[in-house]
Amino acid sequence: MDQLRKKARELLESGAVKTVIGYGEGSGKAVRAVFIRQPEQTEKLILDERCRQNLAVYLLKPEVKNLGKPAVVARLPVLRSILELAAESQLADEQMVILGISPDGQLLDLAGLKAVADYVSAQSLELPPPEREQLEQIEKKSPAERWNFWQEEFSRCVKCYACRASCPLCYCSRCAVECNQPQWISSASHARGNLEWHLVRAMHLAGRCVNCGDCARACPVGIPLNLLTRKLGEEVFKDFGLRAGTTPELKYALATFLPEDQEDFIR
Amino acid sequence: MAEFEPKIVAFVCNWCTYAGADLTGTSRIKYAHNVRMIRLPCTGRIDFMLLLKAFARGADGVIVSGCHPGDCHYTAGNYHARRRWILFRQLLDFLGFDTQRLHFAWVSAAEGAKWAETVNSVVEEVRRLGPFQNYQQLARAGIE
Amino acid sequence: MSRIGVFLCHCGENIAGTVDPGKVVEAANRIPGVVHSIDYKYMCSDPGQSLIREAIKEKGLTGVIVAACSPRMHEPTFRRVCAESGLNAFLCEMANVREHCSWVHEKSELTTAKAIDLVRIMVEKAKRNRPLFPIKVPVTKTALVLGGGIAGIQASLDIANAGHKVILVERDPSIGGHMAQLSETFPTLDCSQCILTPRMVEVAQHPNITLHTYSELESVDGFIGNFKVKIRKKARGIDEKLCTGCGVCAQKCPLKKIPSEFNAAMGMRTAIYTPFPQAVPNKPVIDKKRCTYYLKGKCKACEKACPAEAIRFDQPDEIIEVETGAIVCTTGFEVLSTEFFPEYGYGKYKDVINGLQFERLASASGPTLGAIRRPSDGKEPETVVFIACAGSRDPAKGIEYCSKICCMYTAKHAMLYKHKVHQGTPYVFYMDIRAGGKMYEEFVRRAIEEDGVKYIRGRVSRIYEQDGKLIVKGADTLLGAQPVEIEADLVVLATAMVANSGAEELAKKIHVSYDSYHFLAEAHPKLRPVETNTAGIFLAGACQAPRDIPETVAQASGAASKVAALFSADELSREPVIAVVHRTAPPIFSICEGCFMCEQACPFQAIEREEIKTRDGKLIKVVAKVNPGVCQGCGTCVALCRAKALDLQGFSNEQVYAEVMAV
Repeated sequence: MDQLRKKARELLESGAVKTVIGYGEGSGKAVRAVFIRQPEQTEKLILDERCRQNLAVYLLKPEVKNLGKPAVVARLPVLRSILELAAESQLADEQMVILGISPDGQLLDLAGLKAVADYVSAQSLELPPPEREQLEQIEKKSPAERWNFWQEEFSRCVKCYACRASCPLCYCSRCAVECNQPQWISSASHARGNLEWHLVRAMHLAGRCVNCGDCARACPVGIPLNLLTRKLGEEVFKDFGLRAGTTPELKYALATFLPEDQEDFIR
Repeated sequence: MAEFEPKIVAFVCNWCTYAGADLTGTSRIKYAHNVRMIRLPCTGRIDFMLLLKAFARGADGVIVSGCHPGDCHYTAGNYHARRRWILFRQLLDFLGFDTQRLHFAWVSAAEGAKWAETVNSVVEEVRRLGPFQNYQQLARAGIE
Repeated sequence: MSRIGVFLCHCGENIAGTVDPGKVVEAANRIPGVVHSIDYKYMCSDPGQSLIREAIKEKGLTGVIVAACSPRMHEPTFRRVCAESGLNAFLCEMANVREHCSWVHEKSELTTAKAIDLVRIMVEKAKRNRPLFPIKVPVTKTALVLGGGIAGIQASLDIANAGHKVILVERDPSIGGHMAQLSETFPTLDCSQCILTPRMVEVAQHPNITLHTYSELESVDGFIGNFKVKIRKKARGIDEKLCTGCGVCAQKCPLKKIPSEFNAAMGMRTAIYTPFPQAVPNKPVIDKKRCTYYLKGKCKACEKACPAEAIRFDQPDEIIEVETGAIVCTTGFEVLSTEFFPEYGYGKYKDVINGLQFERLASASGPTLGAIRRPSDGKEPETVVFIACAGSRDPAKGIEYCSKICCMYTAKHAMLYKHKVHQGTPYVFYMDIRAGGKMYEEFVRRAIEEDGVKYIRGRVSRIYEQDGKLIVKGADTLLGAQPVEIEADLVVLATAMVANSGAEELAKKIHVSYDSYHFLAEAHPKLRPVETNTAGIFLAGACQAPRDIPETVAQASGAASKVAALFSADELSREPVIAVVHRTAPPIFSICEGCFMCEQACPFQAIEREEIKTRDGKLIKVVAKVNPGVCQGCGTCVALCRAKALDLQGFSNEQVYAEVMAV
C-alpha cells in the first residue's frame, strides 16, 4: 500500500498523470473508487481485500477523461479489461499509466500494454474451483429446472442497468437496448423484456468478458448474472481456445473462425 | 381435437438454402406447410436476436440454414454464423431454454430433398414437443 | 403512408392449382398499407407487366409485391418493370408463393393460408423499403498484370489491344515464363519459342504496355477500380538505358559454371547474364549472390569490358508506385522439387532428370542444341524410361490432385526422343492416360502406335544404378502386377506441378484466398473461374491450378475480357445491397464506437476507419466506414455489431424485424 501511495504521489507531483484512479474508504465499511488529483491526497488510497471493483470502467467515462491523463490501480481483472479495451481500439498505451497490483498486493512494474499482456499470460486464467462449481451447480439441473431458476432470478430484475454501468466493456454510447427502430429488446421490465436483456448482454460480452464479477456485485437485487458471461467465457475457451483480455491485439472469437470449428448440432 | 400444427420460422441464406428450397419446389417434392421462410443474403447476416424474436412472435420451432462450410457465397459468412450459433445455443441451454426447438442445417442449392426432409423432421419433432408454452407465456407477459 | 400494391400471379395452374387466388387477393387487401390487390394469369407476361405499370401510375404506389415465383427467377424482371414506371426498383419485392408454397403443398386451406402469410411478410418488409441507387465507383483504366509467362503475356496483349494501359510485372530478368523453356508443344509439335517469342516482342513494343522485369509486387492497397500498388524494381546492376544488350559483359565474366535457371541446370551461365538469347528485355542482370565483385569487392571484368559504360554496381532497388483499376494475377507454377523422391534417386543419379530438364535437352536452343544426350557422360541414351505421376495423385506425397499436363508432355517427350534417336526405346510408366482435349487422345495414340512408345501401366517402386545403367523396378498392373525391370540410360520424372513457393505470401498481399495446395482460389469454380473474391482482382493460368497452354491462354483472354468490361465505363456501377454505418446527431456523432470487430470479421476488407473531427480539426472519434466499392453485402458485420451501428441496405434491421413480426 505504501509502495502504491508513493508511486501515485510521484506521478502526480511530476505531472506524469493528472489523476489517480484507486480505492478509498467509503461510508461504513464500504470501499469506493477515488479520483486523487493532489499529491497530498494520495494518503487516501487504500488496498485490501475489499478493493475488488473493476476500475477500468472509469477509463472510458467522459467525466473521468476530462480530468486528464489517469493512472489506474489494476489487479488482474482490471489489467485484463484494459487489454480487452485496447484490443477493441478503446484505449492506447499513452493514454494511461497502469499501477498493476499482484495478488499479494505488491506494486508491479508494468510499463505499457505489452508488459501487461506478458504479465497476464503468465497468470493462471483457469476458473478457480468455487467459480467452476457455481457453473456446475446450474449445469447439472434439468433444462426445466434451469429455466425456472433463471425465470425466478430474472423476475427480480428492475432494468436499472447497473450491470451495464459497472462493466468496463459496456461502453457503447447507444446500447442495443436503447435502439427502438426496431425495438430489439423490450425496454419493459417484464419476463420477456428481462430475459431479452440478460440474453443480449451475455451474448454481447461473449468472448470479451474477463469475469471480474462486477455486474453481479452491482446488481441491487442480487441476480448472479455474471454466471452467464462466465459460462460463455469458458465455452469460448473450450471451443475456440481464446480468452478475452490477454492481448492488446484484437482476437475476437466471433469476428474470427476456423474452418475446422467443431459442433454437433448442425444437420 | 385437431392435431397441433406447430408454427415454424426458417431463416435461410439466399444462395444455398433459399435456392435449395426453390429446387424442392421445381422438383415438386411435398413437405409440411408449417414453415415460413425469411430470406437473408447470408447466414452471417442472421442476428441471434431474430431467432429469439421469432419465438416471441409465437414460433414453436425455428430453423436456421445456409451454405455448407466452404461453400459460402461470401466465402466466410457461414463460418462466422457457426461460431455465433455455437455460443448462442450454449447460452440458451444454460438458461434452460428448450434447444430442441432451434434447429440448424446446411442445405445447399442442390439439396432440394434435404430441405424437405429437414422441414418435415423439424415439424414432426416440434409437433411432438407441443406448443412452446414456456416462451409463449413469456411473450404474453410482454404484451404492452 | 405506404401505398402497397399486391400482384398475385396464377402462373397458369402452377399457383392457382393449389392456392385460392381470390382468397389471397381478398386477404392482401385487408393488410394495412395495401391499397391495391389483384391477380392475373401470367404476371410476367406483357399484359401482366402492364397491370403493374398502370397501377403504379394510377394508384400512386409506394411499393409493389409480386406474389409469384422465386425472386431468384423474376425479381430482376419485376424490379425493371417498377423502375420503368418511375418506382425505385428496390421498392419492389416478391413473395415466393410458387416454389415455396404451391409446388410443395397439396391444395388446401392451409396452403392458401401460407400464401397469405408469405404475402403479408413481404408487405411488412416493403413498407420499410427505401429507394436504393446503384453505387458508382470511379475506375482507373490501367491494369496491373503480375507475371510475364504466357498467361500474363496474353492477358496484357488483350487488355492493351482493347485500348487500355497495362503494367506488366515479372519477377525474373525476362518475360516468357515456363513456356519459353519448352521445346515443342503438344499436340501439334510446333516449336514453343517460335510461337512465344513474337508475342514477347509484341509486349515489349506495345505502346499501351509498360514492362517491369526483375521486379516484384511490394504492396497493394485500395479496391476495385482504385488500387494503389507499389512495385519493387530490383537493381539489375546495369543502366538499362545505356545497355545495348551486346553481351560482351557475359563473355568477359570469369564465372562460367553457374547452373542456368533457364536451362533447368542442364546448362551453365555466367554471373552477369541474360537468361536466354531471345530474352525480353535483352538486357543482362548481375547475380549479386554469385558475382565476385559483390562477394569479394573486386573483379569488375564486365565494367571494364562494357563498351556502353552501363555497369552500375551500386544501383539501388527502386520502388515504383502506380494506380491501377484491376489486377490480373498470372504468377504460374513451379515443378515439384525432386528431392521429394529418394526412391527414384533424383539428385543422386545424374541421369534421373525431370520433365522440364528434358525439355531443355530436346530444345534446339538448349545446351545440347536439341540432341538427346544424358547428363552424366553426354552419350545418346538407348533406353529412356518416362515416369508419369511423379508426385501427382499421390496422397503419401501430399499431392492428391492430377497435374493434368504430364500425360501429354510425357507422350510428347517419348515421341521427341524417338524422332531424334530412331533406334532408341522409350518406356512410359503411367497410372491412367488422361488425354482430354482437342487432338490430345489422337496424339497419345500416335506416340503408341506410330512411334512405338512402350506404355506400361503401373508404378515404379525403385531406381538404382548398376554398371552404368539405371535399373528401373516396377510392376505392370495390366499383367496382374507382374514385376518389370528395365535397364535404362536415362529416366525422366513427370514431376507434379505445384504452387509457387511464394504463393501464400502473394495471396495475402492481394487479399485473395488460396486452397490447401496454395493455389489461388477463384470466386466460383464453375461460373466465376477467373474472378477472385476480391473484386477487381482476376486470375489466369497455373497460379490457380495445373493448366496446359491452351487453357491458360483461354483463361488469360477471359480475365482480360473481364478487365476490359470493367474498364468499359468511367464509373463502375454496383448493386446497392451493402452495409452502411449509421450516423447520429452530436454529441455521439456515430453510433459506432470504433471497436473494429467488423473490420476483423469482414471477408472482403470492406471496413475502413474514418475520423470524425470537430470544425477546428480536433479528433472526436474513429469509427467504421464501409467502402461501397468493396462491400459485397453479406451482412456478417451487421449481425456482429452490438450497438447496431451497421445496417444492411435492402435487408435492414427494420425490414427483417418487420418480417419476423409478420409471421
